[in-house]
Amino acid sequence: MAIHSIYTLSQDDAEARSWLGIFRRHGYRDLSDVVIERVYWLEGQVHPEALLPLLVNPIYQTASFHSALDPARGPIIEIAYHAAVTDPETPSILAAARALGETDLEFARLSKRYQFVGIAQEQAQKISERFLFNKVVQRIRDAAEKPLTLRPGGEPEAARTISLAGMTDSELSALSAARSWYAPLTQMRVIQAHELTQRRPHTDAEVEILVQSWSDHCYHTTWKSLGLLKRLAAATARINHPLVVSAFKDNAGGIEFYDGWVITLKGETHNFPSSIAPFGGVATKHGGVIRDTLGFGKGAYPIGGTTIMGTMDPALPEARVPAGALHPQLIVSESIRATAYYMNPMGIPMMHPLYRRHPGYAKCFALGHSVGLIPNRFSLKDDPRPGDHVLLIGGETGRDGIHGATASSTGMTAQTLERESAAVQIGHPITERRFTSAIPALRDAGCIRSITDLGAGGISCGAGEMGAETGVTLNLDAVPLKDQSLTAWEILLSESQERMLIAVEPEKLPEAEALLDRYEVGHAAIGQFTDSRRLQATWRGDRVVDLEMNFLWGACPIDSIVSAPPRRCLAPLAIPEPQTFEAWSGAVLSVLHHYHCADQSAAGTQFDSTVQGRTVIGPYGGKTHTMPTGVFVAAPLRDKSYGLITTVAFNPFYGEVNPELMAKLMVIEAVSKAVVAGADYREMALCDNFYTARVSPEVAWDLTRMVEMIADLSCNLGIPFISGKDSSSGSFEADGELIEAPPTLAVMALGRLRDVKRAVTKEFKKPGNKLLLVGEVDSSALGGSVYADSHGQRGDHLYCAASAPSIRAQWDALLKLHAAGGYASGAAIAEGGLAVRVFEAAYGSGLGARLDLGVFGTAERGPAARGISRRDQLLFGEFIGAALLEVPPDFDTSTFLDGVPHVVIGEVIAEPRLVLTARGNTFWLGEISNLAAEWSAAFREVLQ
Amino acid sequence: MTPPIAAILYAPGTNCHEETAAALERAGIESRLVLLRDLLDARARLRDYQAAVIPGGFSYGDHLGAGRVFAVLVAARLREEVSEFLDSGKPLLGICNGFQVLSEAGILPSRSIGERSMALLENQSAQFEDRKVRLAVSEQPCIWTEGLAGSILEMPSAHGEGRPLFRSSSPRIALHYASSSGAPALDYPDNPSGAPDAIAGITDETGLILGLMPHPERASLPAHDSQDGLTIFRNLARWLAH
Repeated sequence: MAIHSIYTLSQDDAEARSWLGIFRRHGYRDLSDVVIERVYWLEGQVHPEALLPLLVNPIYQTASFHSALDPARGPIIEIAYHAAVTDPETPSILAAARALGETDLEFARLSKRYQFVGIAQEQAQKISERFLFNKVVQRIRDAAEKPLTLRPGGEPEAARTISLAGMTDSELSALSAARSWYAPLTQMRVIQAHELTQRRPHTDAEVEILVQSWSDHCYHTTWKSLGLLKRLAAATARINHPLVVSAFKDNAGGIEFYDGWVITLKGETHNFPSSIAPFGGVATKHGGVIRDTLGFGKGAYPIGGTTIMGTMDPALPEARVPAGALHPQLIVSESIRATAYYMNPMGIPMMHPLYRRHPGYAKCFALGHSVGLIPNRFSLKDDPRPGDHVLLIGGETGRDGIHGATASSTGMTAQTLERESAAVQIGHPITERRFTSAIPALRDAGCIRSITDLGAGGISCGAGEMGAETGVTLNLDAVPLKDQSLTAWEILLSESQERMLIAVEPEKLPEAEALLDRYEVGHAAIGQFTDSRRLQATWRGDRVVDLEMNFLWGACPIDSIVSAPPRRCLAPLAIPEPQTFEAWSGAVLSVLHHYHCADQSAAGTQFDSTVQGRTVIGPYGGKTHTMPTGVFVAAPLRDKSYGLITTVAFNPFYGEVNPELMAKLMVIEAVSKAVVAGADYREMALCDNFYTARVSPEVAWDLTRMVEMIADLSCNLGIPFISGKDSSSGSFEADGELIEAPPTLAVMALGRLRDVKRAVTKEFKKPGNKLLLVGEVDSSALGGSVYADSHGQRGDHLYCAASAPSIRAQWDALLKLHAAGGYASGAAIAEGGLAVRVFEAAYGSGLGARLDLGVFGTAERGPAARGISRRDQLLFGEFIGAALLEVPPDFDTSTFLDGVPHVVIGEVIAEPRLVLTARGNTFWLGEISNLAAEWSAAFREVLQ
Repeated sequence: MTPPIAAILYAPGTNCHEETAAALERAGIESRLVLLRDLLDARARLRDYQAAVIPGGFSYGDHLGAGRVFAVLVAARLREEVSEFLDSGKPLLGICNGFQVLSEAGILPSRSIGERSMALLENQSAQFEDRKVRLAVSEQPCIWTEGLAGSILEMPSAHGEGRPLFRSSSPRIALHYASSSGAPALDYPDNPSGAPDAIAGITDETGLILGLMPHPERASLPAHDSQDGLTIFRNLARWLAH
């Protein structure tokens, strides 16, 4: 069949300009220009000219039948998809070509030719491999190549059997490693024994399914062994909160909103893929957690999301990046690009974009949340019944993401980057967007008995879990493939993104299929639920899987894990108190300039925060719309004033000092941020995301204590956890050095508000208002602080925060004060302490503040102030749970705050400056505009 | 007589249709969400509607160009239906991706379906820009901005490709990005795309069609911190009432 090619060029190509900037920043200083030529490959009896309206807009693009690039100007690298893989654009080109009357176009492909001016071929090659393509699905195309057809081809390997009979332990271990199964020996032995019992060798598909279903990622073996898996669920059951609709049993958790609606919440980490291929890893982090929302009940609609990244210091010199790890700057900038690439087309507002660093994140922490909305009557699934169809919807199945579940359950080494890149999925938001619109329509039409997303473990895991109580049989020949060379086990395990499984009752199948056609969503009925209690699959006439559900879900051996207290190498803080004006300037600026406190809007403004028209308070606010608000408030029901509020707490520094206390502080910080805005803690729920190094006795010790701490705390506060996820694979080995993630817990709080208009924001409102610090202060609050980090120190203990009863009393007091309209602005103390909250509130308002840091200097003033003897302790101490409130001068707060520690610590002033005084003497002042310049430059510098 | 109904045309990848419907409702206009697929398959007809809005999003993934596949489908398969709609003097609004569709379909600036004379290029920053913007309404006659000349409207803006380029004729500019003084904003980020002449929205010779990059529907409800966008939809309500 004839193959035509059309070459197009764009004038004023911002993408090419942007790459030029990126490559130059990464050291290719000789590079003077990048040109991108797109090549459309068209197969069939077509009139290429007739397709030009589709391929170019003549206002800024030109087309020709030969390349317009002059090879003499510089090396050209052409990137194309592998022959076996369908391009993401192919369906769009085919559909639009048909509309233009070119009905004989049989297949189309797109490749991109990058010309690099000023550098050699070898460097161009290197740039391309690092930035421009993903080897799993793409390749560098040889310009001389003359394809006979564009259609994806390739023959799959035949299904095989794998016999473990007679293998020694060391042979079993070697096989597990060689096949990237990462299965512990005990599991290999159970599979070996099962082979004897069933008197036939397993097929390759069966072994692959077993090791993957039993991976830590899917089976949570670490948590099960430590007895932690049900710990939080048990605490939530004990709280028995009236608002909880679903906790820890579905793809997400849910709480009752108002008027018969439920809000869902889920957080997922995608640490491994984001470490080895940040763009693909972070894009699919979002795609995956959004599908958890779509897979809640009978299908919830996503109305908000987050991106929370923990990496090594992006300013790290290249030489100090561990061998085999990507530079953290690259991880951060690629992650930003990926979040924009995925979240914006999904049309889901960004709630909390957050970037943090820690030297232990050689394997990065990549967390995303998804919040959803669903009518209460659809919030519980039905059980699939024998005879129900297994309907696969969304994208086609490809080679991407194979072994993701097993690979992500282990640590990383210097070789992982090379070896496991096939485990990274490729994300196409348009495919997910299509079914995001279709699922609520299917649900409302009664076409969904049950629904789940396909993530780790692919079809085998999704269908295997859905049919665990009944049985399921799959016809793998019915699975639409984008890569024709996939063999049976690969089809079953592929973690290709943007797919969901639905159990549809037989009478409803035609209606479901017609609806999916209208929404232009791909679909295939790939099997049926049975009463066999077996997972079965056929492929090309052979039965390739026949496993008892009991064995699959009940036979995984859980290795016991011993636990031992860690020895931490911590030293007390040794920071001299600033004594001069210059020293204070340095101290304030070092905190405002710190990665955790600096203006991160250069990243955040690349994400749509107002799409869906529900946003009330977005991630940024104030006069310039770049003041971090610290909360997200939305009005999910468009004609009502009811609000949802979310907040996040994540602090890797604290985890290094005292993991157990860190866990407590994260819960209190997240809740306090929402309470200060006016949300009642009695109407909140939480989501936990843990990340630790690969389990060792010490990690087991910390993990257990963190989980016990928050389980007990949630009971004592009456605030339930409703969803969460754990990852115990934060280890990175390079050149004999082991880099371990600090014990990490990110907490998201989800609450509701009767009236969004009553939510209090952070920016100051009026000069002359008093500034009130509510909550207990303590000299220990510099431990793990940003201030300490800016001195290269961590300290040896953390602020301990109030006990559950006293923090509840404090929240109750704040809520009463809020109800009485007692404060005009407010912010919970967090990273950077008072200094950062006051700066942000001033920056966001165009006003200033005068603080009296001598309030605790004499015994007769102020309440309990344990050991505060220095001004920097008060200014930079991270008193988690405390709040800074702006109170009208004539408002009497005493009746509200009776019994709660509080002190007037300053006032709002009209001049846009920050003035620090002690007992009447001004010892430092800074103009907000000068401080803002430093604050807003820091993160931008990192990105460049 | 049946009350006038506006069609909100959406395709796979469109993601602002529901809030657009909410804003129309707030302005007192009844609307229907109409899938482009249903028009293509003749399950729905444009002539049943008295006005149409193409909302924001990434239709068909913005493959091959922002709004292009949607526009090609309109120009190739719905040309007569759209011509009839426009020729009968019905108003049309394109917001963000909808503006990109109108421009790629040739409907803006010159109502010549299938003949393009403008493009919306990638932002100067080569990235998506999520901002709050101020819009200065010009004197240019346009039913969507009638009576608003000289006023400043605040609303969110969120797009990656919003920098207009015209073949020749000078466009009929209905909305300019404005700085805090109200003057046309040429500088980033008040002008988030780097649009020449601070162009945020244009109309056609009849004043019935408006294409704009910012999102009036996100500044239309009581919960929004600005309700300036509602004025644009209210203008449609007034026009439909006469």
